Amino acid sequence: MASAQSFDIEPIARFNGASAGIRRPKEITCFSFDDQHKYRWDDSSLRYYHPPTIPADLNRGFDTFRALDDTRDDHLDGLVDTIALHEKEKGAKVDADIITWRGMMTKIMATPFSKLESWEMNATCFQGSIFIEENHATKLFSKQQQNQQKMPAGTPSQDIMSFWGYKFETLSLIPDTWDPTSREYIESRETEIVDNHAQYCSIVRTGFGKIKMIIGGEVDAVWDVKPTHPSSTPINYIELKTAAKIHTDRDQAKFERKLLKFWAQSFLLGVPKIIVGFRTKDGILTDLEEMETQAIPEMVKRGKGFWDGNICINFAAGFLEWLKTIITEQGVWRIRKVEKSSRLEIFKIEET
Amino acid sequence: MGVPALFRWLHKKYPKIITPVIEEQPYEVDGQQYPVDTTRSNPNGEDFDNLYLDFNGIVHPCSHPENKPPPATESEMMMEIFKYTERVVNMVRPRKLLLIAIDGVAPRAKMNQQRARRFRSARDAKEADEKKAEFQTLLRSQQHSRGDPETALEDVVKKTWDSNVITPGTPFMVILAISIRYWVQWKLNTDPAWEKLKILISDATVPGEGEHKIMQFIRSQRADPEYDPNTKHVMYGLDADLIMLGIATHEPHFRILREDVEIRDAKAKTCNLCGQKGHYADNCRGNTKDKAGDYDEKEKTPDLKPFIWLNVPTLREYLGAEMFVPGQPFRFDLERALDDWVFMCFFVGNDFLPHLPSLDIHEDGIDTLIAIWRDNIPIMGGYLTCDGKVDLSRAQLILQGLAKQEDAIFRRRRQTEERREQNQRRRDQEKDAREQREQGRDAKRRRSSPDYGQGGFNGSIKGRSDDRAPTNAPMNLISPQSIEVDYNMVVNRGAVDRANTANKSAAAALKAQLMQKNKPAETPEKPTNEPGAVEQTPPSALGKRKAELLEEEDDSSTPGRTTPISQPETKTNGANPDDVPPDTVRLWETGYAERYYEQKFHVAPDDYEFRRKVAQSYVEGLAWVLLYYFQGCASWTWYYPYHYAPFAADFTDLDKMDIKFAKGKPFKPYEQLMGVLPAASNHAIPPVFHSLMTDPDSEIVDFYPEDFDLDANGKKQSWKAIVLLPFIDEKRLLSAMNTKYPLLTAEEHARNEMGKDALFVSDRHPLYDLLATEFYSKRQKNANGENMVKLPVRTGGLAGVAEKNPSYLPHMSLQGPEDDIKLEPEVDDDRSMSVLYMMPTSKHVHKSMLLRGVKEPAKVLDHTDIAILKSKARNSGR
Ligand SMILES: [Mg+2]
Repeated sequence: MASAQSFDIEPIARFNGASAGIRRPKEITCFSFDDQHKYRWDDSSLRYYHPPTIPADLNRGFDTFRALDDTRDDHLDGLVDTIALHEKEKGAKVDADIITWRGMMTKIMATPFSKLESWEMNATCFQGSIFIEENHATKLFSKQQQNQQKMPAGTPSQDIMSFWGYKFETLSLIPDTWDPTSREYIESRETEIVDNHAQYCSIVRTGFGKIKMIIGGEVDAVWDVKPTHPSSTPINYIELKTAAKIHTDRDQAKFERKLLKFWAQSFLLGVPKIIVGFRTKDGILTDLEEMETQAIPEMVKRGKGFWDGNICINFAAGFLEWLKTIITEQGVWRIRKVEKSSRLEIFKIEET
Repeated sequence: MGVPALFRWLHKKYPKIITPVIEEQPYEVDGQQYPVDTTRSNPNGEDFDNLYLDFNGIVHPCSHPENKPPPATESEMMMEIFKYTERVVNMVRPRKLLLIAIDGVAPRAKMNQQRARRFRSARDAKEADEKKAEFQTLLRSQQHSRGDPETALEDVVKKTWDSNVITPGTPFMVILAISIRYWVQWKLNTDPAWEKLKILISDATVPGEGEHKIMQFIRSQRADPEYDPNTKHVMYGLDADLIMLGIATHEPHFRILREDVEIRDAKAKTCNLCGQKGHYADNCRGNTKDKAGDYDEKEKTPDLKPFIWLNVPTLREYLGAEMFVPGQPFRFDLERALDDWVFMCFFVGNDFLPHLPSLDIHEDGIDTLIAIWRDNIPIMGGYLTCDGKVDLSRAQLILQGLAKQEDAIFRRRRQTEERREQNQRRRDQEKDAREQREQGRDAKRRRSSPDYGQGGFNGSIKGRSDDRAPTNAPMNLISPQSIEVDYNMVVNRGAVDRANTANKSAAAALKAQLMQKNKPAETPEKPTNEPGAVEQTPPSALGKRKAELLEEEDDSSTPGRTTPISQPETKTNGANPDDVPPDTVRLWETGYAERYYEQKFHVAPDDYEFRRKVAQSYVEGLAWVLLYYFQGCASWTWYYPYHYAPFAADFTDLDKMDIKFAKGKPFKPYEQLMGVLPAASNHAIPPVFHSLMTDPDSEIVDFYPEDFDLDANGKKQSWKAIVLLPFIDEKRLLSAMNTKYPLLTAEEHARNEMGKDALFVSDRHPLYDLLATEFYSKRQKNANGENMVKLPVRTGGLAGVAEKNPSYLPHMSLQGPEDDIKLEPEVDDDRSMSVLYMMPTSKHVHKSMLLRGVKEPAKVLDHTDIAILKSKARNSGR
């Protein structure tokens, strides 16, 4: 094993100031998994937003949940396959320093304000691009750990809480735009079986500072409709999130911390709007709030000020620029964040 | 719904739905006029996106205005229309879209009403014209005998302009369509507030009633995923039921704009005869501009009638409180409850069906239904309607609920009437007594001139009489030396006849009086007889007359329909028993249903199968109307084939009914004209068709009876009478007309063609460049010859398809259809764009739902408002 190098997170003050130049994310292609989780190079699984009737019980249907088996390691399959198809269609290679899932970039961006987090990623360099994916084994392991953690009695399990998120999607989405969707469908969403096999992913070109990136990520729905011709206006994608209702100052603080992930995820794909479904502690959806992604950092600054969007961007830009100087040859590298550590470590784990 | 009562009922029950419109006026500094800067924010505290004009509601008041002389020519009329439209647009200042919708051919279901009104108005106009002619002759001889110079009497007594030409297919409508296009283009070139405005014109060549074309448009836009759910709409129109249409859109940011009908200044109104202010036609003496100093038509500050808002969001709030029934196993859905409310309003009156005998807006019929609805919600287990479809088994429950109350409603109605009549009689007697006392004391100003609403109305035959000494007459009373004819004397001839013991015709009597001018020696007693008799005119006759005069303008989609009669209706009830035929159905006595069917439908009293048939047609009608409001015209040919409604008790086994409509095709304009106009209005129809209406050998001459019956149907007011005209048989009408079509001139043919909507934008609108490139650039993209382009909703703000307008060229000079239809400054280089427009069509049912992303307006009602509403609900409707 080659010796580790590291990128300092602290002091974060050095990432202060106006954010590094950002290339506004622009979709280059997309793909879907159908309800059998079969890959399709189209937007057939894209769904549309129509608000749920509230209050609604997010627990309902947990026993019939058709959950996707996420223990398999899919690597970057969907993303890479789609880019290949796209390149073939265009007759040209995509030009990117980094190609990764949106989830990896979210973790990197959130690093300056996520001291307690730990994760591991693998990176390889291929034809001039660095591909970054999650280290699947660590992910499964930490998930297991989480599930084994002793929670106070009455606290909902991790499983049910993640179900709430899918349930909220089922309650809020329709398979087509409003006009062709029947009243019957819209009104029966409460009894619809929750199923997370179908997915829709958008692949965007974006850039932080000098780094050019291709990022893929799942998108919950579109607000209106995807323009038929690629246009200069962003696609009005939306992200759906659930969060605990805010009663106390502590709830507020917790929520604002949560907003960091909400914001970074949507920011990276250029999703302009987030719809937050607030729920009681036992999973009753009671309120809806629409948030403009770009307004969230300001909101937090005016609130508790736990995090700063510019620092996140500058940190990510700085880290990736540094990473590019490290990963210059073939092989597999590990990027690691250890709980409470003030640096990101990187080391080569395998020669190819 | 034509009843002015609906508007008043809404206002009374939901007071906060109405708010005044704040209107900026042009101001003057040092003699210089400054127009209102309409690019600035709306002074009403909210800016609006879309303005829809139900344009017949502008054309009618402009063609026969209330507060000034009618325009002398059609060109003047167009200029008035421009002025009025401008005022309305400036009030609203729409930022995105202006839709001008003129009534095109109506569905067959509406034509029965149109036909009744037009026949009725032609008959009334004929009577009025005869009287006018007589009046004119008398005036002439009076002038002559006075030795006055003979003024052109035609100028004094205006000829009635036949408002029946405001029907699709007439030359008038062609001029109107061209004029309004000209005005719009001129505005786009000259008004900076119009830079970003899209203008749609749907003229009379596009089938459908104006307000329903507007509804269709709104639904079409809502169906587009890029439509802005927070669009702020204003609809201008005169019908009180526009507020129901507003509710039916499920757009919460919606207001209706209209003139304030509650403000009626008699002094500002003009005489129907001479067009001058200061008196009603009843008191018109045909004076030329004697009074020009007092009521000059060229007043410096024309008194503008104020406008009001009817706020749909506030009504939504009220109804949300009123329709909420707690403790139901299903979720309360305001949008569905609102639809049910609209549906229940149909029972009380609409343009397509006679209202149920037991439901009357004056008796809070809608409250009765709401109470039944609330009681039945647990049994129904859901809503009565869904997206424009009636749940027939639930409708059965509501009607059963009403049927249970029917007998009691009729009996109560009778009791109320009797009480009212008693009170009236008592008041009359008291008044007579008082007047007799006063007469004994001193000379009382009996009659001022002009006299609004007093003279003749409250008097009675007894008590004031010939024995009154002429010396009692105040100075301004007509003296024998200068007897002037007034319209009363002519119009109320019948009444005068009854009162006149000599029993000679009023005209003859008047002539006799006029002659006396040359015989001053004769005793004064004799002539005072006649004016005295005039004052004794039975009030009901006058009241009725007045109501009819008002009703004359009361045509489909015209102001009159929602314009309250200026006199409280009770005054017309003072009733000469001769005027209202005895009610032989007597709904308040047992056996009324048998009598009703026997007398109204001429069927055997025990023909229950027939009753069921009538009820089924009526239910079809309700289903048709509901679809018409919520989805558009389900059938162009369906209509309710009876003059009367069934009783609630006659609705049985509704759930076994299967209602289906055949879409059919709209009539062509000439077919509608032939379907609704009487022979007297044939000047609006191409001459080749005239013989069909009048030739005794015409196979359809029976459609155009000279005379027809009116059935008071238990109503006191004659204008509420049912017009018993034969229904048009579409097949016979069309086959008769087909023989004449080949004889039409090319121009007449053109007027009969179906047209398309038109879209206009200025060159500062983002759509301009797109359309110019698409249709007028050298490199036209549509190489396949298709002159169509789908409009970009996100940048253009309008969903639909544009098509090249073959009769339009950019950068031409603008011209009106007539030389005297002209706007200053002239535009030599038109910088607006005109294309044909097709709204998007959806094959899906329009759902009664709020759209995602809608932000509901702030609440207006507080706890007190809701508490008042609920206490009202407790006290009524049962
Ligand atoms: Mg109309």
